[in-house]
Amino acid sequence: MKVLSRPALLGLAAATLALSPLSAGAETLMMATTTSTQDSGLLEYLEPIFRKDTGMELKWVAVGTGQALKLGENCNADVLLVHAPAAEKAYVAAGHGIDRREVMYNDFVVVGPKNDPAKIAGKSTAEALKGIMTAKAGFVSRGDQSGTHKAEQKLWKDAGVNPEKDPKYFSAGQGMIATLNMAAEKKAYALTDRGTWITFAGQQGDKNPLTIIVEGDKALFNQYSVMTVNPARCPKVKKDLAKKFEDWWVSPATQKVIADYKLQGKQLFFPNAAGSK
Amino acid sequence: MEYLINGWFGALALLADMDDATLSAIYATLLSTVYAMTAAFSLGLLPGFILGYYNFPGKRALRLVSDTLLAFPTVLIGLIVYAFITARGPLGDYELLFTLPGMAIGQAVLALPIVVSWTAQAVENLDPRCRETLLTLGANARQTALLTLWECRFAVGMVCVTAFGRVITEVGVAMMLGGNIRYSTRTMTTAIALETSKGDFSQGIALGLVLLLMAFMVNLALAFLRRRGARA
Amino acid sequence: MSLVYEARNLEQRYDGRTALARVSLEIERGEAVALTGPNGCGKSTLLRLLAFIERPFAGELIYHGDRTNPRREATLLLQDPYLLRASVFFNVTLGLRLRHCGKDLERIYDSCMRAVGFDDPGSFAARGPNALSGGERQRVALAARLALNPRVLLMDEPTSNVDAASARAIADAVSRYRREGLTVVCSTHDPALINALQAREIRLGRRWDEI
Repeated sequence: MKVLSRPALLGLAAATLALSPLSAGAETLMMATTTSTQDSGLLEYLEPIFRKDTGMELKWVAVGTGQALKLGENCNADVLLVHAPAAEKAYVAAGHGIDRREVMYNDFVVVGPKNDPAKIAGKSTAEALKGIMTAKAGFVSRGDQSGTHKAEQKLWKDAGVNPEKDPKYFSAGQGMIATLNMAAEKKAYALTDRGTWITFAGQQGDKNPLTIIVEGDKALFNQYSVMTVNPARCPKVKKDLAKKFEDWWVSPATQKVIADYKLQGKQLFFPNAAGSK
Repeated sequence: MEYLINGWFGALALLADMDDATLSAIYATLLSTVYAMTAAFSLGLLPGFILGYYNFPGKRALRLVSDTLLAFPTVLIGLIVYAFITARGPLGDYELLFTLPGMAIGQAVLALPIVVSWTAQAVENLDPRCRETLLTLGANARQTALLTLWECRFAVGMVCVTAFGRVITEVGVAMMLGGNIRYSTRTMTTAIALETSKGDFSQGIALGLVLLLMAFMVNLALAFLRRRGARA
Repeated sequence: MSLVYEARNLEQRYDGRTALARVSLEIERGEAVALTGPNGCGKSTLLRLLAFIERPFAGELIYHGDRTNPRREATLLLQDPYLLRASVFFNVTLGLRLRHCGKDLERIYDSCMRAVGFDDPGSFAARGPNALSGGERQRVALAARLALNPRVLLMDEPTSNVDAASARAIADAVSRYRREGLTVVCSTHDPALINALQAREIRLGRRWDEI
């Protein structure tokens, strides 16, 4: 380093700063969210609109809801976009998050082999799950404490069945697409969000061995909310930006944009922010 | 920092307990590794020895291929084996995907170039006087080859331990081909990946400690073999 | 006199370089021959050819004996010999086992080890090669050759890298076997060994470079 004179060094530093996209002035918000919002393409669709509306940069990591909540708890994110209402309420009660606002929902579907070996098509979700277990037809679970997994666990509980130790209950511990792949390989059923299902069905084309077996049941609705990580616990949280972020989500314009988003011609997310209808 | 410290205490409690999930992950890891090592050695020892021992046209090219495969990305191995054993693949009828044997196939493919290349290397590194000595004692070609292999036994033992260490700590192939199914194909490495993604550090650290312990024992075995090889 | 070896214009090359240039010689049964000459004149190469662990590049080598498997009759003690990573007993009796002569191994081990100057062969039986001194290794390697009861013993500088006592033990052992009819060919500059064997000296000239 002795070769470089002091002015040269300063110049180098200035050049480095100028090249950095995170140079002073840019307002960046870090969001932890679930894989479904990324895999469905929603975030990439919304991000440029968000930047135009607010002038902020939005960065995100897409993980399971469990890990997304943990990321906030460990002060690794400013805001959260997740879908596990019970866990979220407990999270707020524990002082990890503040200002929880419901923004939209999508729905889950039960998918399974086309020949429906458990003969559960058209039944209610609870009856369908019971039928899968009694028929020993096989069910692949996310098993990763994600929002989808938590929703699935609640559905089993509501059906009065404990599948955990059943040899035909495969706890994959992986993402949604991987879980659907496994269900296809094992000729088993699975619970998935509709967005990932549409993506998966698009990839598989005509050879898709799976099809939707149960849908439209009220029990299958999946509520998404935004939250801010509690700045009292994590002082680095940019609470002013976070407020703008949350306001943006519930604004009528954004809600309409969400309703307009379609994957392969199908609406995926249904906005339902309070007072926005 | 607090969560890390809690993670450690939780890990120690879990290890003292040794719950079903942890035990089954250890069991799945060891079983698939043993399958894979058995397959890799039965398929790779002879070609490795031939590559190191005999001179024939194309030998250098074959060595180059095997050495290149050493650096083969594990996810690519996973991808290729996946394509073969998936329900629509050529071996789909055997229903191997997301089973322990299916996972072991990928791990065997991972271990095979290690066995071939390093066995060849071990044989090549052997003192050339060994072969001459055997000849002067009247050994025929078959006896010379067999005794040369016997003379490399410590080095081959090191190859075995190295391949074992590589397979047991690998996560990509295990995840893609095993599928991380609880009580079935969930290994220690895929379990750690999962626990981290769930945010459960204690369970991850507990499994990590077991894995570290195994890696430590593997290295102990390596050091022992190295000493035996140098002394005897 | 019956001949053991007849060599005519024997020539050896490694990678195109001449290692032994056109040597002709005859060796009689029961004879002791000392190969001498400057470094690089091809003594070691000639010994390897006589031991049939290499084929000559050109020329003719006739062995009068069991020509189908001469390596079972003529054995070579390499310079700086190699012992396998196994016990001394295993090394000494290995050649016999390669011939499927598994009988009397203990007795043969004992007598051969005593012949090369070990007074207590039993205490060495289980040792590994790295627990031996240079002189002991050389003598163990010689015992392994003597155990074969060979017709021809070839040795490459057997006394050059060992202590004086080992050198004497080696010379004693070989001259005793020689009196019983063993043919001995060795490369050496050791006058004591040449004298003990009452060896005929064959002097190899400097090889002709790049013919």
